[in-house]
Amino acid sequence: MGKVQLQISRRTFLKGALAGSAGAALAFGQMAEAVAAPSENSGTPWYYRGEIKRTYSVCDMCPWRCGVIVQSVNGRVYKIDGNPADPKSRGMLCARGQAGASFMYDPDRLRSPMIRTGERGEGKFQEVTWEEALDAMAEKLLAIKEQYGPESVAIFGHTSGEFWFTDYFAQAWGTPNASKPSSSLCTSPREEASLLTVGLPVGGHEPVDWEGVRCITLIGSHIGEDSRNTVMQDFAKAWARGAKVIVVDPRFSSVAAKADYWLPIKPGTDTALLLAWIHVLITEHRYDAAYVAEWTQGFDKLAAHVAEMTPEWAAAITELDPELIRTTARVMAEHLPQSVIVPGRHVTWYGNDTQRMRAVYIMNSLLGAYGREGGIYFSKSPYIEAYPHPPFAVAGSSGGCSAEPGAENGELPVGPSGKARADGARTKFLRGPTAMQELIEPMITGEPYPIKALIVYGVNLLNTVPNVPRTIEALKKLDLVVAIDVLPMEHVAWADIVLPEATMYERFEDVWTVSHKTPYIALREPAVEPYADTKPAWWMARELGLRVGLEKYFKWETVEEFVATRLQSIGYTIEKLREEGGIIVQKGKPYLSDFKGTSPFKTPSGKIELYSETLALAGQDPLPVYTPVEEPPPGWFRLLYGRHPVHTFAKTQNTPLLHQLNPENDLWLNADVAASLGVKDGDRVWLENQDGVRSGPIKVKATQRIRPDAVFMSHGFGRNAPGLSLANGKGASDAALITRYALDPICGGAGMRVNFVRIVKEA
Amino acid sequence: MAFYAFLLDLARCIGCEACAAACMAGNELPFGAQYIHLIEQTQGAFPDLTGGFKNHRCYHCADAACVKVCPTGALYKEDGLTRLNREVCIGCAYCVDACPFDVPQIVNGRSSKCDACAAATKAGGQPWCVRTCPSDALRYGERQEILAEAHQRVEAIKARYPRARVYGETEAGGLGVVIVLTDEPEAFDLPVNPQTPRLLDIWQNVVQPAAVGLTGLSILVTGVAAIIARRNHMKELEQLRSQQIESSQNERAS
Repeated sequence: MGKVQLQISRRTFLKGALAGSAGAALAFGQMAEAVAAPSENSGTPWYYRGEIKRTYSVCDMCPWRCGVIVQSVNGRVYKIDGNPADPKSRGMLCARGQAGASFMYDPDRLRSPMIRTGERGEGKFQEVTWEEALDAMAEKLLAIKEQYGPESVAIFGHTSGEFWFTDYFAQAWGTPNASKPSSSLCTSPREEASLLTVGLPVGGHEPVDWEGVRCITLIGSHIGEDSRNTVMQDFAKAWARGAKVIVVDPRFSSVAAKADYWLPIKPGTDTALLLAWIHVLITEHRYDAAYVAEWTQGFDKLAAHVAEMTPEWAAAITELDPELIRTTARVMAEHLPQSVIVPGRHVTWYGNDTQRMRAVYIMNSLLGAYGREGGIYFSKSPYIEAYPHPPFAVAGSSGGCSAEPGAENGELPVGPSGKARADGARTKFLRGPTAMQELIEPMITGEPYPIKALIVYGVNLLNTVPNVPRTIEALKKLDLVVAIDVLPMEHVAWADIVLPEATMYERFEDVWTVSHKTPYIALREPAVEPYADTKPAWWMARELGLRVGLEKYFKWETVEEFVATRLQSIGYTIEKLREEGGIIVQKGKPYLSDFKGTSPFKTPSGKIELYSETLALAGQDPLPVYTPVEEPPPGWFRLLYGRHPVHTFAKTQNTPLLHQLNPENDLWLNADVAASLGVKDGDRVWLENQDGVRSGPIKVKATQRIRPDAVFMSHGFGRNAPGLSLANGKGASDAALITRYALDPICGGAGMRVNFVRIVKEA
Repeated sequence: MAFYAFLLDLARCIGCEACAAACMAGNELPFGAQYIHLIEQTQGAFPDLTGGFKNHRCYHCADAACVKVCPTGALYKEDGLTRLNREVCIGCAYCVDACPFDVPQIVNGRSSKCDACAAATKAGGQPWCVRTCPSDALRYGERQEILAEAHQRVEAIKARYPRARVYGETEAGGLGVVIVLTDEPEAFDLPVNPQTPRLLDIWQNVVQPAAVGLTGLSILVTGVAAIIARRNHMKELEQLRSQQIESSQNERAS
């Protein structure tokens, strides 16, 4: 693991222990006697090796972003804990957060800028200076801009520094083709459905008012496996308080095991279940009638729409017991308005996902949950000014799960040479942020116009965008591919220029602003120096900007200056924020009562639109309709994928600590089906999808916890990146098997649960 | 003398493994060492299922078989907890064989198991796992208070789980990890009545005192021979251990 082991004599050790006692007291929050006790390494525990430096930052191990206190000794980070003042972490962290130091000290990290020497995909590079790498990148970008216009540069970004490339640089440069996977490959359906229904985004922190909730319904949400820290904390408290838990999932997930009701639904039929629940609430008059009358419109049309959608109708589709459907609807209603269907997070499933999410929000509206204590609160962004800059060359449309609230503009933003997004917005799909997967085709075909350069910042391109063979074809066609990353992920081998990034605790970063019940701002300071010759994204974006004629956007010289200027707007300095524990919490407006009679719903009607005129005008169903999805043929299984609690996307499989906890994924296969196939628990099998793509070998987990018609695996394994010395070749890749997707005609989301696999016993 | 204990509430534990990771990070465990293992448990057949997680770790038995068999004093009781001083451990692996819960493992030639964060708690902190648990499934404190909390929690979940119970109040002389169970111990792969193997009592009460009466030479010869035999056995044990890790990963929920 490349750990620094201090080899010191007993005598020095005792002295060190005494000297370190003040530091140790800091680590544990109280004075304590220095005690010599052997650790597993038979050495001095890290907190006695010197003075403990505590730094405030925000975790970057997953996109949830918990506030942390980083503890380092002698220039090395040892322990990361939640910042007790942070509204998300509240002093605790998940396994991934705990492994922040292990991620930083991964010996496989990219060390130096590199320029490709072999063919694309071969992974042959020469280490160069930053000067050489950035000069080469700038020269090529300017040549592409000259010939094709700035819109021909696509920028994909994710992780903590995504702002600098996907938002700031992209808008200054003038490309509308900047995209985040957190939109069309994750949350677009729930965000667009929410904007259409209540006129508000869900936002990065789902606004469930957990403190008072009395009934929680989860549809395909896996709290515990999806280990977002705050949600696990909130769920545990609500559960312990006795809140009812209803879980809809084809799999008996960790949270299904805590549920009062588990509905093992047939995959792809959730909208039918939701419509039947709506039917029960309305026909049995169990909805919040006063709330519906005051705050919604279109109720009569909705009532007529679901009149025939009985639990018996839905039961035939969902393969659920009709009485269970009826009972769960009644349980939800008994607890209204402290009764919520949680919006979920990764909801790009079948291509009709915006409609399903609309049905979810209609349920929440009938339950009277919006703006009610114990229901769904209204998030508010913290007040702080942006750093002053000249007008951007193009408005941003990259979205992201932490996108700020904003009304959907009728006109698509156009770049300096008059071109709008190349992703087919307004033609292939109606609205929403730039759809990453739809930018691949223009790279190959040049339609509607050519995309010639791709900058990939922190997106694990070949483990994220569906249809990997198509992405590879695009990578071959581009004039310039730049990869900015921490580790040698698969796509890095396809880059012309590789820029190695300093990780979160090695860099100063813009303050983190969170739209929340209690809006807040978090400080992000470096704990230690950057590893090897790595640099922060803000520095790269600025250096590149200065080389391509964007000096006016980069008047600031350091990010500290950028942050200090922003903090001035709220009467703060970096020092003051540090002294106050790294977090500024502001007052929110969470409930209807905070709006004093005015409407918080920013829809055209100012009401919750059960019936959507906007969708009707666009030729889409104004009320959610159940549309059957293709079913796997006999002998085939629907491929479901999800999370393992210790991993994030395809990012952490090589992190030594997390790799040890979960070194490979396994294939959940119904135990009875496994027996009929002659496959035993622990056997290794391969999977072949409908397009003949194979992945594996993967270990079978023969279990009663899954329906017979689907298989499940956690995402991020089956890696084909030799530079990832721990993760490479372990398990199977769901990403490789997702060669097709269903485009959501409303939001541009890529529904990825439309792939089928069969089990192959031998390679 | 103070008696400390952990509360481990398996009704609340959702298997996120934050405890296992915090333990590895805070204690700087070398690659290969791991004190806490989350193992998924399932009963019933689809779709009539119940389940949860076994949060497998040293249970800090009052009547600790490992302490009884340890020939060097590397394993010892302190404040009601079972500590491990790896500096004097010789890697004989008697503890591996003796533990009724199959907890200690041999890592890098020495015993490896939770010591209840001896150094960190003596410095005034809570064990790393307890500090980070997002589900409030873990607590650490005076054993009497922990027992009271455990009983209170069991009462609170009786309506949901009629078979809920406290485990570890008396088992193996009383455990330093008091567990809230939603079901019978078997459902969590825990022994109903964990016991020190009878042979160990004979070892401690008969063989060890008898050995004291032998000549120095015979002690030396017997001791050296035993240690050599155990050392030879070590590789086998390490192999077994890595297989166990693999199979526990198999069982682990994705």
